[in-house]
Amino acid sequence: MKRFLKSINIPELIRPLGQLVFFSLGTTIVLSAIVLVFALILDRTVVGQTLFERLNVSLFTYTLINLPQVAIDGLTIGFVYAAIALGYTMVYGVLEFINFAHSEIFAVGAFVGVEILIALDRFGILAGASLVMAYVYLILAIVGGMLAAGGLAVAVERVAYRPLRHASRLVPLISAIGVSFLLQDAIRLVESLTTGQFNRIFPTFGNFDRRVILGKMALGTTNITLGVSIKSIIVIVSAVLMLVALNYLVNATKVGKAIRAVAQDHPTASLMGIDVNRIISLTFLVGGMLGGAAGVLYALKFTRIDAFVGFFPGLKAFTAAVLGGIGNMTGALLGGIVLGMLETYAGSYMGVFTMGAAGTEYKDIFAFSILILVLIFRPQGLMGANVAQKA
Amino acid sequence: MALLETTNVVKKFGGLIAVNRVSFQLDAGRIISIIGPNGAGKTTFFNTLTGIYHPEEGRIIFNGKSLHKLRPDQIASRGISRTFQNIRLFGNMSVIENILVGMHVHLKQSPIDTLFHLPFFKKEEKESERKALELMTYVGLKGVGNELARNLPYGGQRRLEIARALAAAPLMLLLDEPAAGMNPQETEDIIRLFRRIRDEKGITILLIEHDMRVVMNISEWICVMDHGEKIAEGTPQEIRSDSRVIEAYLGRGAVAGQHEEKIA
Amino acid sequence: MIPHFFKDIITRLEQGIYPHIIILAHMVLGTALVYTSPRSNLAFLVLITSFFTLYYFKTDRRFKLIVGAVLTLFIFPVVGVRNIFYLEVIFQISVFAALALGLNIVVGFAGLLDLGYVAFYAVGAYLWAFFGSQQFYVLPFAPGTQPSNLPFLLPGDAFYLFMFIAILIAAITGILLGTPVLRLRGDYLAIVTLGFGEVIRVLANNLDKPLNFTNGPQGITPIQRPTMPLAAVDGFNALFGGLVGHDVSPADMYNVMFYLLALGVIIVIVFVTRRLDDSKIGRAWTAIREDETAAIAMGVPLVRMKLAAFAVGASFAGVMGVLLAGSRTFISPESFSFMQSIGVLSMVILGGSGSIPGVILGAATVTILNLQVLQGLSLYLSQLRQSDAVIPIINFAWANLSNQLDPAKYQRLLFGLILILMMIFRPEGLIPSQRRKRELAHDEDDNGK
Ligand SMILES: Nc1ncnc2c1ncn2[C@@H]1O[C@H](COP(=O)(O)OP(=O)(O)OP(=O)(O)O)[C@@H](O)[C@H]1O
Ligand SMILES: [Mg+2]
Repeated sequence: MKRFLKSINIPELIRPLGQLVFFSLGTTIVLSAIVLVFALILDRTVVGQTLFERLNVSLFTYTLINLPQVAIDGLTIGFVYAAIALGYTMVYGVLEFINFAHSEIFAVGAFVGVEILIALDRFGILAGASLVMAYVYLILAIVGGMLAAGGLAVAVERVAYRPLRHASRLVPLISAIGVSFLLQDAIRLVESLTTGQFNRIFPTFGNFDRRVILGKMALGTTNITLGVSIKSIIVIVSAVLMLVALNYLVNATKVGKAIRAVAQDHPTASLMGIDVNRIISLTFLVGGMLGGAAGVLYALKFTRIDAFVGFFPGLKAFTAAVLGGIGNMTGALLGGIVLGMLETYAGSYMGVFTMGAAGTEYKDIFAFSILILVLIFRPQGLMGANVAQKA
Repeated sequence: MALLETTNVVKKFGGLIAVNRVSFQLDAGRIISIIGPNGAGKTTFFNTLTGIYHPEEGRIIFNGKSLHKLRPDQIASRGISRTFQNIRLFGNMSVIENILVGMHVHLKQSPIDTLFHLPFFKKEEKESERKALELMTYVGLKGVGNELARNLPYGGQRRLEIARALAAAPLMLLLDEPAAGMNPQETEDIIRLFRRIRDEKGITILLIEHDMRVVMNISEWICVMDHGEKIAEGTPQEIRSDSRVIEAYLGRGAVAGQHEEKIA
Repeated sequence: MIPHFFKDIITRLEQGIYPHIIILAHMVLGTALVYTSPRSNLAFLVLITSFFTLYYFKTDRRFKLIVGAVLTLFIFPVVGVRNIFYLEVIFQISVFAALALGLNIVVGFAGLLDLGYVAFYAVGAYLWAFFGSQQFYVLPFAPGTQPSNLPFLLPGDAFYLFMFIAILIAAITGILLGTPVLRLRGDYLAIVTLGFGEVIRVLANNLDKPLNFTNGPQGITPIQRPTMPLAAVDGFNALFGGLVGHDVSPADMYNVMFYLLALGVIIVIVFVTRRLDDSKIGRAWTAIREDETAAIAMGVPLVRMKLAAFAVGASFAGVMGVLLAGSRTFISPESFSFMQSIGVLSMVILGGSGSIPGVILGAATVTILNLQVLQGLSLYLSQLRQSDAVIPIINFAWANLSNQLDPAKYQRLLFGLILILMMIFRPEGLIPSQRRKRELAHDEDDNGK
């Protein structure tokens, strides 16, 4: 036992935790400051007046009241993005290839998890479950989603990417787009043959919908309660656990070393006795499992899923990966958190700040704009090194 | 006046300084070689000259004008043309089309000429096709105009790359290991070709080469690089007996083994 | 022995007068079949594949042109007005062929994977939808709240003018979108273009406020068509009335007209593509596709040439957009989804990127699979459901099959399969592109010595 404890590389467990806390707090503070400044400025304009007439609070107060909720929502979705983004970034690291089908791997994970719970629900197991068992079932669903998604990712790589490994860059990308489309309809096909329903709802059970009250705060005439839904806590905690585990796998184990070696250089890695194909499969497995878990967590948070549920989270997670510096795992964490926060802040405040001319409906475009701006001005991302193309 | 003059050119990749304060002059009409062990920074130096990389420091003056911040295509139209260490032809285009792409900067046809096949278009196409065929003969490629470039044998591909570079009618030709992988007969032929290009067309030639038979045979001046720095330059005789050069090659263990015998 | 024997026959058939006979026979057979059984999908397939025979067998150009013209200008319209479903299939094939040919310039020639190609299609469609409808006067009204008696902004005949304006506007959009991103590496560019496609769709969905430009998700309707000269209807009836068997209404005549317009656009695209391909511009595109670094080192200005490809491709999508808006008289953001972009891409990939006949074949195949095979399956399934047939071994009654299983809605499966299978087994497509063989007179002389 002592031996085992000794063999654990404690710094590698603490480092990512520190990073996560740092990234989350940093982003929250910066973004909150920005919206508050905006609110202060706009308070004096017609925007502030309109709001005052409507709700009888100043724009600044309104902004402040909503901040904690917005920050927590942003953090929750940010961690989901980070978990998906890791799948993109790991595959990119070893193959320099955008796994376009990763969004559907995510969707399959979500479906398998939700179907497991629905099945349990149908047998009446969920309804009467104790709190502990509720968590057991949730974990069961997450593990189920992980296994299905991981296995699928490995299979997809074998069938649709491996034969194309030496073709030009766009060929496997086109194949991946094909896989993405194929999987979307495959999900629909399976659903239509089995349940006949394309929209699946995450069953209500356990205490996941409850809110934990953190405190009350008086702000002028209004009393606001600070609360977090248990769902959000679950999402954040599980994402953090997975991210720490993944970091440990990659940075402190032998397998991780092999992954990093393959990412550096395939021929050299195979000269050193590493089975490159196996490591690539493993990368897809790990990335797929993370995506699958993220899928179930996403379903928990947003309740309703359909076959196309992966598209936007996938694209945004890809954006997050690019934002952080594709190929860089810490970058994916940072990118996911920043993007989730940015998007939530923008979605929550843009409508008020522009008096309804542009609001949440432009949230999805917002991520694209970030992608384009990053690619144009800092293609190596926030944390990536500048790598020029070889001539 | 020198045709090409570089002053303290520096190119880094992250922490690695691939080209370190290289100053270098090249007079018009000469044949000059750059040699040095693997990874010395020779190709990277070529890439900074042709604008594929922008140097972090230093100046490059070509034909009296600075090449600072110019794109590769702009540099090509200033009169620098090149070949690549690992052949980079347009594999799925025919041999003649490869050469025609080389002429790109000189073709004046407008989209209107092109769409309506106006007389100017036809004349220019015919003329450039004629020149391309001439160039094929010049480098020793015959009867393969419609062949796809990737179907040529290795030696033919090397020649085609040279023809494509010549098609741009450059002032200076940069050749990156043009004789690599050639047998002695082919090597001799290609040396003769380089002489002719210089003598008949007056094109200045700067080449990177590992094969010392080629280097010593053809160069009028040799510049030696190691670890990104220029460690020596001089006539072939001087370089042959320069202790630093010998050290650079011999002090390199296994990798240098192959050069050892060539330099002797 | 036997393969030899067949080879002999085929070689013989490819020579002399035989190709002409085969082509004509195929065409006549197809026409006769469709004529006698105007509802049969098979008969229609026989007719439409006569194009393939026409392409495959070598005959002189004039013969090909004449047969092609007879097929497209005479047989298809007549067959089409006899069965309006065929006309729809033919029209859609021509629309998608035009789109695929436009995308082919970007993907096939310049090697830029554009995943948001329908954005330009949408630009053209909304252009005419806005100016060719009442939308201008609806600007101040939220969707659904406008008064009913608003005038139209422009007369329907402005449609023709807008086909040209759309070329310009779509090309400008292409340049505006392309300029910042075309220096990106290929795979990033693909994702960014996908983003552009989505941006345009989201804009179409949401630009119903503060001013109502697009009428949001409901879309814009009615959109005007150009006036149909009565003479055209009368003329058609006088000429072909006997063959058709009934008098053609102006409404049907519109479909014929839009089909012919689409055909015209295709001819222009093919012409432009071929001329450009065989010039400095086309060679630069191919060079970029083959090796960007080598191309730029040879003096090809990358960004400018890529922009040109983007703009040319975009402009064709723009024209087709106007055509779509005019022919459907209704458009909504739904028609311009990511799936449409991938659909067009799968046509290019299936046929052979960079190959004009290939891309047309790809467009025809995918459209037919979509409209006839998938929908045919749907029909067949719903018949099975109504019957009391049972799947033998597993003893499953068709009637119990979920109503949600509707093959017609599985286009993504189709596109996905096409993309994957083609990439793995035949990345160059069904009819790979070929470099033009030049007649190099004195090159051959040298060879002969
Ligand atoms: N794009 C790049 N990114 C990072 N490092 C690079 C890049 N290109 C070259 N290098 C590094 O720069 C150094 C110089 O490389 P370069 O190719 O210029 O050497 P060279 O003298 O041409 O060698 P060789 O004789 O093998 O061709 C090497 O250490 C190489 O690994
Ligand atoms: Mg080199």
